[in-house]
Amino acid sequence: MKLLWAVSALLLSCWRTNASTAPNIITEPAEVRNQTSVELSCNLTDHSLPIKGSHWTHNGKIIEESKTTEDKSFTSLRLEKITYHSSGQYECVFHTDPEVKKTIEVKTVPHVSASKHSEHGNENDKGVMTCVSHGYPLPTDWVWFKEEDGNRKAIINGTGDRYEIKSTPNKTTLTINELSIDNDIGDYICSGTSELGTSVDKIYLRVRSRLAALWPFLGIVAEVIILVTIIFIYEKRRKPDEVNDGSAPLKSNSNANHKDKNVRQRNSN
Amino acid sequence: MPPAAGSNLGYKPPDGGWGWAVVFAAFISIGFSYAFPKSLTIYFKEIQEYFSVSYSEIAWVSSVMLASMYAGGPVSSILVNRYGSRPVVMVGGIMVSVAMVLASFGTTIIHLYLCVGVIGGFGLAFNLQPALTIIGTYFQVKRPIANGLAMTGSPVVLSTLAPLNQFLFDSFGWRGSFLILGSIVLNCCVAAALMRPVNKCAQPNPNTDSPQFNGAVTEGADADTSTELANPLPGECQDESKSKSCCSKFIDLSLFRHRGFLIYLSGNVVMFFGFFAPVVFLAPYAKHQGTDEYSAALLLSIFALVDMFIRPITGLIGNSKWVRPRIQYFFSFAVSYNGICHLLCPLASGYKGLVVYAVFFGSAFGMLSALLFEVLMDLVGAHRFSSAVGLVTIIECGPVLLGPPISGALVDIFGDYKYMYYACGILMLLPGIFFFIMHYYNYKKLEEERRQSTAGEMRTSEEAVQLKMDQNVKTTNETDR
Repeated sequence: MKLLWAVSALLLSCWRTNASTAPNIITEPAEVRNQTSVELSCNLTDHSLPIKGSHWTHNGKIIEESKTTEDKSFTSLRLEKITYHSSGQYECVFHTDPEVKKTIEVKTVPHVSASKHSEHGNENDKGVMTCVSHGYPLPTDWVWFKEEDGNRKAIINGTGDRYEIKSTPNKTTLTINELSIDNDIGDYICSGTSELGTSVDKIYLRVRSRLAALWPFLGIVAEVIILVTIIFIYEKRRKPDEVNDGSAPLKSNSNANHKDKNVRQRNSN
Repeated sequence: MPPAAGSNLGYKPPDGGWGWAVVFAAFISIGFSYAFPKSLTIYFKEIQEYFSVSYSEIAWVSSVMLASMYAGGPVSSILVNRYGSRPVVMVGGIMVSVAMVLASFGTTIIHLYLCVGVIGGFGLAFNLQPALTIIGTYFQVKRPIANGLAMTGSPVVLSTLAPLNQFLFDSFGWRGSFLILGSIVLNCCVAAALMRPVNKCAQPNPNTDSPQFNGAVTEGADADTSTELANPLPGECQDESKSKSCCSKFIDLSLFRHRGFLIYLSGNVVMFFGFFAPVVFLAPYAKHQGTDEYSAALLLSIFALVDMFIRPITGLIGNSKWVRPRIQYFFSFAVSYNGICHLLCPLASGYKGLVVYAVFFGSAFGMLSALLFEVLMDLVGAHRFSSAVGLVTIIECGPVLLGPPISGALVDIFGDYKYMYYACGILMLLPGIFFFIMHYYNYKKLEEERRQSTAGEMRTSEEAVQLKMDQNVKTTNETDR
């Protein structure tokens, strides 16, 4: 029994010493939720290891201005005006051997934006609307609404085989098949929800009539036919004149000469 | 003095008058032929998403169209030789129009390959060759200017079509745009209506048999028969023009024994490998250097603007009395200038360097394009130009299609654009030097042949005079008795 206690105490102390010799970084704050500005700080508690410097990374990318070669065990990073650009995973990295680092998550409400705020579709063709999201964390739920008379009507995937919704954390697509001018023109709202909140954006869908392109087409074809006709008529009217210039005058001249000759002969006689 | 190679045409080309309307018509036809395939690329992204195909599959549409346009060259030449320019351009315009209208109703990517690619490409081929051929029949003295002006159609129509396509796409989507483009391309039929066959009877024939610097007179055996039709009678005019030797052949394969034609063909085949690739890669290279997308697009606009103005200017220079007799050297200079531009491109640093390169490249490209067909006309003569251009385009088909992908492969292998520019520079400089040497040799041979033929003529005319004098002496002797 005593042997068991001794062994367990030895193991516990070994583990404790291992735990205490592993560098411990205290982060302040542990997590940032929906704040406008914050100061992130990391404090390396174990001073036994030599520190050659430190830096911060944002989503894996090194922040150049945070690089330092000072051997301080405390490093901080100030974030002013936190938007969805600056949200993400921040890591403080100490240049020890081996490197030690710890992550602080900066979370904001997701930013949802439409790829295009005005979409077009052709009648009886399909119309596609896309919304993307940036920030951290990305939405876990996407919902599409159609705005009708000031009310939002939720669109459920697969109703009437016309609506298809495909969603991934950073992108959602609403496809409407067989667009009709009466029913489908209007505002569509995509809404993305994450643990921190919901964000929306609006897209206006325009449906073009099938015959919309037909009028310019017919207009230009008519213009071409008119021009070609004018050019051919002009050429036909000029052509007989040109041919006459070459051949007819010869004949007419000879006739005139002949007549003159007759006149002269008669006169002489 | 510009060479009077028109003496072998059998008539004196108008060199003006309705010729300028024909130049305008050729401007439109050539413009659509070259600019249409390039401007369609604006729709590719949307069509790619619509049909859910990969980028290379959609790029095939452009390649098939270009390939059909070049492969249709000989067919077009045969038809022009048989029927003249006007019907062929009319048919070509209708073909492209029908192709675009059918494509707008297409449901698979294969429809686009067939409609836009094959039928559209053939239709454009039927526009290009006749337009070039008819300039040769209307112009002799002012032909370089006419060619330069007609070739300006390509950048002008491209600059017009590019924003127009964007506008059509935003307003009507790709299907509606294809429908409307089908009607716009029908304007080629208007151009066809303007291409009145030249009136070969109205002008008196000067009968100046002074073949100076043109190889066509001494080398073209079949062309000599037309000099016999020097003064056609008005009544027989219409029939003569149909049975003229220049129009009755299907396609003139004896060109492959023509020295000048072979020089032109061999140089061009090498040159075309490096001709289009720098244009294709100008914007990507700029983006690679770090410029933003808008500035990269601006580079292309600068290039197109310089190109647009340099073509008529090149025509004017080519027409001047110092350059016209030795226009082949001017062409060799243009090719070499292109090569040097590309070799020096990697030295351009920063955006300003790229702008300078775009200006120089634009002028080089325009100079070369304006002279490309003028020198062929100068070498083979207006008679055989139709067959010549058909043979040249089908043989150039390979380099034109393979050039950009090979350059792209070079960029991918080395990860740097400068090797591609070095390769293109060499591929243009070598033909340029080749042209200089070969044309120097060619001009010398032509001088020799001309001297021999005039010496032969003088001998025969001396003998004829001697014979006449003997006859006169004989008759006077007889009358005396």
